[in-house]
Amino acid sequence: MGRPPRERPTALSASDIPPAAPSPRARRGGVGWDASMFAFILAAVLAQAPVAPVEPGPPTPDAGAPEAALPVPISALPPATHELFQRIQGRVAQVRIIERRSGTRSSIGSAFFVSAAGHAVTNYHVVSDVVIHPEDYTAELVLSGSPEPVPVRLVDVDVVHDLAVIQMGTPVTDFFALEDREPPQGARLFAMGNPRDLGTTIVEGTYNGFIQDALYERLHFSGAINPGMSGGPTLTGEGRVVGINVATMGNQVGFLVPVRYARELLARALKETAADPQALLDRVRAQLMDNQERLTERLMEAPLPKQALGGYQVPGRWSPFLKCWGDTPHDPEVPYTVTNYQCSSEEDIYVSSNHRTGVVAYLHQHATSQKLGALRFSALYSALFAQDPDAVEATRQDVTNYRCKSEFVDVGGLPVRAALCLRAYRKFPGLYDVVLRAATLNAGTSGVDTSLTLAGFTADNGRKIARRYLEGLSWTK
Amino acid sequence: MDEVIFLEVLEGDAVHARHRLERFPVSVGRGYSNDVILDDPKVSPEHLRIERREDGVLMLRDVGSHNGTFRVEPWAPLAELELTPDTRVAVGDTVLRFRPRNHPVEDTVVGPAPTAPRPRVFEQPRTFALALAALVGASLLEGYLTNYGRTDWGELTVAVVAPLALMFVWAGGWSVASRIARRQFHYRTHAAIGTLVLLGSIVIPALLTLVGFSLALGGGLPGVHYLAFLGLMGWGLYWHLRYVTRWDPRRLMRVLVVVTLVFGALSRAGDWLGNEGFSEGLDFPRTLLPPAFRLARAQPVEDFFEDTAGLQEQVDALTKEE
Repeated sequence: MGRPPRERPTALSASDIPPAAPSPRARRGGVGWDASMFAFILAAVLAQAPVAPVEPGPPTPDAGAPEAALPVPISALPPATHELFQRIQGRVAQVRIIERRSGTRSSIGSAFFVSAAGHAVTNYHVVSDVVIHPEDYTAELVLSGSPEPVPVRLVDVDVVHDLAVIQMGTPVTDFFALEDREPPQGARLFAMGNPRDLGTTIVEGTYNGFIQDALYERLHFSGAINPGMSGGPTLTGEGRVVGINVATMGNQVGFLVPVRYARELLARALKETAADPQALLDRVRAQLMDNQERLTERLMEAPLPKQALGGYQVPGRWSPFLKCWGDTPHDPEVPYTVTNYQCSSEEDIYVSSNHRTGVVAYLHQHATSQKLGALRFSALYSALFAQDPDAVEATRQDVTNYRCKSEFVDVGGLPVRAALCLRAYRKFPGLYDVVLRAATLNAGTSGVDTSLTLAGFTADNGRKIARRYLEGLSWTK
Repeated sequence: MDEVIFLEVLEGDAVHARHRLERFPVSVGRGYSNDVILDDPKVSPEHLRIERREDGVLMLRDVGSHNGTFRVEPWAPLAELELTPDTRVAVGDTVLRFRPRNHPVEDTVVGPAPTAPRPRVFEQPRTFALALAALVGASLLEGYLTNYGRTDWGELTVAVVAPLALMFVWAGGWSVASRIARRQFHYRTHAAIGTLVLLGSIVIPALLTLVGFSLALGGGLPGVHYLAFLGLMGWGLYWHLRYVTRWDPRRLMRVLVVVTLVFGALSRAGDWLGNEGFSEGLDFPRTLLPPAFRLARAQPVEDFFEDTAGLQEQVDALTKEE
């Protein structure tokens, strides 16, 4: 009813991809210079994205290897793709999410069998509708070679790693055994799934290891993963599962969930009998709770590094999972300069199609002017202070409106105008989005305006992190 | 009846014309030969006569009118009628009433002691000139201070021209109303009132913002802004209307207070009834002024975060609303 109609049935659509938004905290245009700043950052990020774009081309001269006269052992030869496909085709199925009232599918994804009892692994984001709105959605599987869909039930989910286990009523004979063994970087991998509902497909690509400094562990697969392949397996040539297709940034940059998390989830799921919808929601909540606790610990354990910005010290790169960017747009026309420094986890957790969480991001803007008087500078400074970072995506069904408290605060002798804002999650009580906004007020024609966004934290943890962050502000001159 | 009586031509309850009758007989009709002429097309040229009988009683007699003569209470056609005080008679579309000379009248209304009319401050040419200068100055200053980019001469020109144009058009509208209702334009007076209202709309929010920032006032400030806006609107309307209507000032004041409050309440009814729309916006005052304007004490960080405990309860309460 209140839910927006989705685009094509693409479980793995551009909007599903956390790392594809390089600077989600970058501000909307407004003071004029902002749009160009954003474009610059975008260009910078595209040019040096978290994972350097490497040519996925085959490094080994193996194109015609079987015919080559060189004495190569059989095991080292790449297996014929068609053989692999034929061998495991039956283990991969299409997941359809059925909207009850229309009685037809509202989105699709892929899944693969992992137990004789009919358990299959897919992505959480493929089945999120069934978790969040169990009264409106059900799931079914379409097996290869049989046109009749089979109803499935949702057994367990891992929202943080974007995984889910579903189970079919009937046992299966052919399934993958999940083992956790990391292939060498550059190994040839094969992603399977049902891209854009075109039928089961196998795609070749290269393994490129763990994404460095990621907040949520992901593998980098250099190959084409397309919408609809979400939840499908990515295999070695021998048919061993390495990861689960989860997201793409386009241009052959794909992301996989390491198989380790699927193994852990399956081990848990095998012990479960039935999970009622409320129990699943509670589990999602507990996982989000654990995740924010882990994040809070990680941040609070680390010392908050200081970053010099004008005459001020501001919080710098607090943790390796934060990616930081900075810039000063140079416009000779304007009588002031604004320097940006922003850090963001650049990743988030998919809760539902319109709701993301698990974000840490902050932005400092140092404004200074030689030409403006104190009153005109304060107009500029107010305009900066009036712009908020983009809110983490959520709708009325997911969160409340923000409520704020603002005061003058004395941060170690530095007077600051600070505001703390909170909004509560409706389906996950105890979790909040927290925003801290602050502007220094010690000088007439310079200052630092800063904003911190924390999505999916308890109020206490949010306050704890925000306090440490605010205390990271100081003035050196 | 008396020797001298009055014939009153009524229009609704009000008296349209009064004729003193002292020599009888008196003829009434549309024709110019009559003593009392009625301009009513349904009245005959010779319609009725009023005669004194020998015993002194006054008689009204229809003299063969086309549409007849009627007694009003009770309604009945008549050829002849003995006149008593307050008798009412209908001829055509006109109602006539007869009253003796000794008819009692209401007591005199006791009014306030009249004073010499003093010119109001808005009517003085100097007020208008000063207000206009202040308005242009305030508008220019606002345009200059709120622009932190390069000096934009076009924008500054607009800051001068726009309030002037608005004020002249506004005063024009009111003075036309004055002319219609009171036969005088009062253009300069209306222009002075309009200028003061515009000046207030620039200066009052700026002052409130300044006070809000200095004292770190938070939540109530938009409400105070709105009240100030309503007050200014009510004040402007009151003085404009003083030059348009002849209403008693106290009555006008009461009406305007009610109108302003009803308008204010209706335009905020949605918020008060709890229909808060979903928004991702953060609602807190954004104005920052130079540090010298800060009067409120800066809180220790500890206190600030303790104070935010109430926020959690507020948003938790929101989750329970649907």
